[in-house]
Amino acid sequence: MSEFGHFIDLVLVKATPLIFAALGGVVCERAGILNIALEGQLTVGAFTGVAVSYGTGNPILGLVAGVVAGALVGLLLGVAATRFGVDQIVAGTGINLLALGGAAFGLTVVFGQPGASSEVRALGLRGEDVLIACAFLGAVLLHLALYRTPWGLRTRASGENPRAVRSAGVDPRNVRLMATLLGGALAGLGGVYLSLGELDLYSDNMTSGRGFIALAAVIFGRWTPLGATGAALGFGALAALQFVLQRTGIPSELMQALPYLAALAALTGIAGRARAPQADGVPYVE
Amino acid sequence: MIRGLWLGLGLVVIAAAAMLLAGANPLLGFWALFRGALGGERQISETLVQTTSLLFPSLAVAFAFRAGLFNIGAEGQLIIGGLAAGVIGARLETSGLVAIPLLLIAGATGGAAWGSIAGVLRARFGGNEVIATLMLNIIAGLLANYLVVGPLHSPGATGAETAELPHSSWLPGLLPDTRLTIALLIALALAFVLRWVFDRTVFGYELRAAGDAPEAARRAGINLAKTAFLAMALSGAMAGLGGATIVTGVLHRFNVSLSPGYGFIAIAVALVGDLDPLKIILASFAFGILQSGALTMQAFAHVPKDVVSFVEGLAIVALAARRFVAGRKQMTALPQE
Repeated sequence: MSEFGHFIDLVLVKATPLIFAALGGVVCERAGILNIALEGQLTVGAFTGVAVSYGTGNPILGLVAGVVAGALVGLLLGVAATRFGVDQIVAGTGINLLALGGAAFGLTVVFGQPGASSEVRALGLRGEDVLIACAFLGAVLLHLALYRTPWGLRTRASGENPRAVRSAGVDPRNVRLMATLLGGALAGLGGVYLSLGELDLYSDNMTSGRGFIALAAVIFGRWTPLGATGAALGFGALAALQFVLQRTGIPSELMQALPYLAALAALTGIAGRARAPQADGVPYVE
Repeated sequence: MIRGLWLGLGLVVIAAAAMLLAGANPLLGFWALFRGALGGERQISETLVQTTSLLFPSLAVAFAFRAGLFNIGAEGQLIIGGLAAGVIGARLETSGLVAIPLLLIAGATGGAAWGSIAGVLRARFGGNEVIATLMLNIIAGLLANYLVVGPLHSPGATGAETAELPHSSWLPGLLPDTRLTIALLIALALAFVLRWVFDRTVFGYELRAAGDAPEAARRAGINLAKTAFLAMALSGAMAGLGGATIVTGVLHRFNVSLSPGYGFIAIAVALVGDLDPLKIILASFAFGILQSGALTMQAFAHVPKDVVSFVEGLAIVALAARRFVAGRKQMTALPQE
C-alpha cells in the first residue's frame, strides 16, 4: 500500500473510537444530558470486552458484553440524573473515577495482575474493518434517527425544551434515560474497538482521555452526528500526524493538545457561535 | 447527618463485597487500611500529608461551587501551580524566607491564571466552565510535560520532572522525620479564612447570592460576570497553592504526575463536607485516610488499591444531592452582553 494509504488507514484507526464516543455524546447532549462520563464508558466497554473474551474465548461475546456494560454505565448516569436528582456533572465525574478504579480493580481480580491484561482472542483485521464501517454507518443512522423520526424529535426537544415535551404527554426524563442508554452503548462499542479491534488486551488507562476528545468533537461538530464525526476524523488525523511529524521538531504535546484547544476556541465562538442545546446539562424537575 | 451515616455504611458494605470478590478478607482489608493510615506516628503524619494535599483543591472546588460554578479543573490548576513553583524553585538560590513565600505565591498565581481562562470564557463568552475546565486539565498535563522535558528542562533532572529544589526552599517540617510540613497549617488557615469570607464579608455574600439565586443577585446589582471570573480565578489560586505545597513540601521537585487525582477526589470531599470549609477539613481527613491506607491494604490484605477510587467514585455519584443543582440551573442562563 502507498504511504498515503497507510496514513489514511491510521487516521481511520485513530478516529473510530472517537467517532463512537462522540456519537454517544451527541445523543446524550441532544437529549439534555451532558455526558462527561464518556471516558468511563469507553473504559468499561474496553475492559469488559477483554474480560469476557478471556472468559469465554469468544471475542464476539466480548463485543456484546462491552456494549452492554457501556450502556449500563450510561444508564447509571441517566438514572442518577433523572430519577435521583443527582447533578449530571458531579455524577459524570464520579462515574469516570469509578470506571477507572473498577477496571483497574477488575484487572487484578480477573487476570491476577495489575497494569495490563494478558492477550485475549480479538476481533481480527476483518472485525476491525467492520467496526470502522459501523462507525460511519452509525453516524448516518443517528443523523437520520435524530432528524427524521419521532424518537429523534422527542430526543432533540428534550434537550431544547423539556417542558414542551412534557406538555405533549411524553416524560422527558424517560427520553433522557433512553439517550444515556444508547450513548453509553455507543461509547462502550468505542471501548471495545480499542481493546478488541485495534489491540487484543486491556491496559490501565488505555482510553487516555479519548472520552474528553470525543466531548471536544461534539462541541466542534456543533452537536450534530455528522459534524461530530467530521471533527472526530479531524482529531484522528491529528493523532495520526503525530507519528508522521515525530522527527520534524513540532512538539507532540502540541498535537495532542490541539483537539482540546479547538474545543476551547469553539466555546469562545471565534469560529461562529457554538450553541449547545438550550437545556443541555439542565436537570428537568417536574 | 443520619443520611450521611447510612451512605457511609452502604459504601463500607460495597467495599467489603469488592474485597470478597478479590478473594481477600474484608476484615483484614479494613484493618490494614486503618493500620496503614492511623497505626502509628509515621502513618498518621502521612495521612495528614494526604489530608493537606486534598484540602487545598477541595476548598477550591467548594469555593467555586458556592458561587454556582463547577470547577472540574482543580486538577489542572494544581498541576500548573506546582509547575510554576517547581520551575522557579529549581532555579532559585536564596534564603528560605524569600524563596518559600515566593514559590507559594508563584503557585497560587499559576493556578489563578489557569482558572481564569475558564473564568474569562464563562464571564465574557458565556462558555460552559465544565467543558472548559475539563479540557484545561488535559492541556495542563501536556503543557507541563512539554515544558519540563523541553524548553524549561532543568539540568540534572531525569524524566518529566524538574531538578530537586535547594533545601532552603523546602517548607519547614512540623514533625521530625516525616513529610508533614506547615502546609497543613496554611490549608487549615485557608479554610477558616474562607468560612469568614462567606459568612462575614460583602464579597462572600455576593458570591453566595450569585450561586444561590443568580437572577435575584443580578437584579440587586451584583455583577454576575465579575463574580464568575473572580470565583474561578480564586478557586484556581487555591488549587495552585496546593500544587505548590506538594512541590515545596512533599516531593521537593515538580513531577508531572504529582497528583494521583486530588483535583477529582476534591469534588467528593467538597460534597461530603457540605461545601462548608470547616466540615471540609474533616472530610479531607477522612479521604486522606483512604488515600494513605490504600497501599498498606494492598500490601498486607491483598486488596487492590484501586478499590479506593472505585468507592470514591461511588461516593461522588451518591452524594451529589439535589440542593447543589438550584444555583447552577440558572447560571447556565447567564445573560450575555
